[in-house]
Amino acid sequence: MPIWMEVLVLMLLAYAVGLGLGWAIWGRDT
Amino acid sequence: MAEIVQANWLLIVGALVIGLLVAWWIFVASRRTTVQLEDTDDSEGKPAKRNQALIDAPPAARKDADLPAGKVSQAAEIAASAASPGPASAAANTDATAAAPLGTDAEAGDGTPMAAALNKTPAPAATPSGGDDLTRIKGVGPKLVALLHDMDVRSFADIAAWSDADIDRVDAQLGRFQGRIRRDNWVEQARLLQTGDKAAYEAKFGRTS
Repeated sequence: MPIWMEVLVLMLLAYAVGLGLGWAIWGRDT
Repeated sequence: MAEIVQANWLLIVGALVIGLLVAWWIFVASRRTTVQLEDTDDSEGKPAKRNQALIDAPPAARKDADLPAGKVSQAAEIAASAASPGPASAAANTDATAAAPLGTDAEAGDGTPMAAALNKTPAPAATPSGGDDLTRIKGVGPKLVALLHDMDVRSFADIAAWSDADIDRVDAQLGRFQGRIRRDNWVEQARLLQTGDKAAYEAKFGRTS
């Protein structure tokens, strides 16, 4: 796997974590 | 792996922040926009109706109030002798109390449309006749109330009596509001609002507006 693809996967993971965190903060209790 | 993270931590943190921003936009900002849209839609048409009522109102009352008493009686005589469509109206306004009798004018001649318009305007959209104010349920705005009225849902009792199947049936017709019934727990809210148990409602769903 080329390095840029690993970086992309890591970025996607971080994006997903951010979404999940945002959901937990603002979306869960409403 | 650790080297890649070390070398590109800025990109990864950036992606995390973007994810947070997107989530914030989805769960906070877009909801705020929706409410604004509901508000503007709700108020549409109402001011026009009110203005129309003012336009339709016979202007004699205001004019006569500005005139001195002598001129008022002169105007009344002219109006009476010319047998204009509204002689009774003009005569009524010869009184110095011309400012008051909007109702008098409404009874005499061309005031009728104004009276009709006045009867139409005051009912607020949120409190329709023969039902509860469904906007008291948190998460329900004027748009949803209109949708619910289309389905003949008008009172808290209607919503409180919903079964799971009812919720699915109604939810399927809510368009972009789908999922709100369960998310905002309408049934429980409606049940508490119906019983009038304000303390229990506020304990569970926060302050009533």
